[in-house]
Amino acid sequence: MRFLTTLLIFITLDSFAAGENKCGSLEKCDEYSATVHDTYSLQRGLGIYMNYCSSCHTLKMQRWNRLQRDLDIPETILLEDLITTPDTKASDFMSFGLPEVSPIGAPDLTLRTRVRGEDWIYTYLRTFYNDPNQPSGTNNLVYEGTSMPNVLAGLQGSQELVGKGKLKQTTQGTQTKEEFDESMRDLVNFLAYVAEPARVTREKNGFFVILFFIVFTAVMWLLYREYAKEIK
Amino acid sequence: MSDKKNSFMSWLDRRLPVTENLERHLTKHPVPKKVNFFYIFGALLMVVFMVQVVTGIWLMMFYTNTEEGAFASVEYIMRDVDYGWLMRYMHSTGASAFFLLMYFHMFRGLLYGSYQKPKELVWLFGCFLLFLLMAEGFLGYVLPWGQMSYWAANVILSLFGAIPFIGPDLQVWIQGDYVLSGITLSRFFALHVVVVPLLMIALVVFHIFALHEVGAGNPEGVDIEKHRDEKGMPLDGAPFHPYKTFSALPAIGIFFIVFFAIVFFAPTGGGYFIEKPNFEEADFLKTPEHIAPVWYYAPFYSILRAVTFGIPFLGITSKFLGFIIFAASIAILFVVPWLDRSNVQSIRYKGIYSKVAMVLFAASFVTLGYLGTKPVNELRTLIAQICTVFYFAPFILMPIYTKYEKTKEVPERL
Repeated sequence: MRFLTTLLIFITLDSFAAGENKCGSLEKCDEYSATVHDTYSLQRGLGIYMNYCSSCHTLKMQRWNRLQRDLDIPETILLEDLITTPDTKASDFMSFGLPEVSPIGAPDLTLRTRVRGEDWIYTYLRTFYNDPNQPSGTNNLVYEGTSMPNVLAGLQGSQELVGKGKLKQTTQGTQTKEEFDESMRDLVNFLAYVAEPARVTREKNGFFVILFFIVFTAVMWLLYREYAKEIK
Repeated sequence: MSDKKNSFMSWLDRRLPVTENLERHLTKHPVPKKVNFFYIFGALLMVVFMVQVVTGIWLMMFYTNTEEGAFASVEYIMRDVDYGWLMRYMHSTGASAFFLLMYFHMFRGLLYGSYQKPKELVWLFGCFLLFLLMAEGFLGYVLPWGQMSYWAANVILSLFGAIPFIGPDLQVWIQGDYVLSGITLSRFFALHVVVVPLLMIALVVFHIFALHEVGAGNPEGVDIEKHRDEKGMPLDGAPFHPYKTFSALPAIGIFFIVFFAIVFFAPTGGGYFIEKPNFEEADFLKTPEHIAPVWYYAPFYSILRAVTFGIPFLGITSKFLGFIIFAASIAILFVVPWLDRSNVQSIRYKGIYSKVAMVLFAASFVTLGYLGTKPVNELRTLIAQICTVFYFAPFILMPIYTKYEKTKEVPERL
């Protein structure tokens, strides 16, 4: 028993000691877990994606018409406003006419939230700061030396680094801090949806499946009790 | 009507022993009346095995076993195939459930002496099944062709390369290429969907036939065959069907509640069932920062990593010695029936040393499992080394302590 206790203490100490939850130069990423059930949020996220991300980043595993169906987008808006590249059908993938392999190294973002985690993306998007030593003129707290420029500066304004892991806003963008955080949550929700479109139905239907098995178990338990009486 | 049925059955029975076998294995097969929850895992394992076979067949209909197509075909299953995501998550969660249940099932065997004479073969077939399950899980994890599939497979395959003299050639022979490639992927696919499952089915049949020959055990270690009623049914036994089948059903229900809670609400198991880097396609130019095995291999991986020293004058590198000890950690389970010299079966009647040994074994297994999923540092390596010793000690010392410790008397009846 003493051995067990010692081991447990070791393990507990260990999980604090190593600092493996580090998020770039931050101690910890800002927590955010996406929801895919707020259709309006997903639509706003799509809007931000189309305006700020889609000129470099593909979503090459996501089909346009699946997006249309899941996000309640009218067909006319899809065909006239969203699909802007010629010869693209509604059943095609969202590659925005970009080359298969990005010449500037911008990764495909379809599964990105599943690779990095929603916390990471949410924090990353909000922690760009001016850094004249970088080719793009900006750097990031979460991903040091990122080659991505701060394309969202127009919304957020620009930030400066003041001390380790601390940022100060220097110019105001078109959105306030709260509005910008809200926008980034919309964007992360959208990216989480794209990473797993089935999540919308998965989380809705799971409840009924589990309910079925609760009833099943209850009935089987009563049946078992009847049989158990016989062998007492 | 009943005449008709009987004449049909007798027609059939003269040509195929249906009734005889149904009675032998189901309706008249005696099982102990009183067992505890540890005895449900065998039934649950059968259920999970069936889940894996059925979902696996559906996945196979849409999966592409090529280097170019594998990763995309998994995403195709997740997105474009109706309920493909459900099949995939059931299969991936099923793999974790399979191991979890297997570990509990085997721990039950260790606790209640389910390997002792005359059950040696039941235990041996079970150990082979664990070995096959580990192979099956490993092969299957390569198939989605994500980063972790690729690099974890590289780690394991390089172990074969560490064998002196024949190692490098052996590794190339297994891979079918000088590096892990699409050739490896397609042969792993063939092994994963045909060879290993067939062997597993055969062994499950042997496991159950052997069990029905010697009879199921119970937590008391009482031999129920000793006292029978006038019809030859053991007094402490009940027919398998309906009594055991209906006691298994609520347990299966509870199992599915937990299983589907994970499938629907946390299918990646917080990164333990499907690891994050596996959502990125395999790239042989880019090694992930931290290569961690899936949780169910973690205890054994920890043992492998705990060996930080070799035997230089014998030409044994630390990597090869690690491989030997890692293999020994599974191999030692096979010989447990011959290590235990106790005159009682159950831990309830064994002496204090057996009890301490089981606690040490279980605690070190869990700790090794935890450490296996984390990156190494000095403290962790030290703990892993201590735990490796505690993992082996209960088995290696078993012939001594089970022979000399004082045991309690086992009652006659359950």
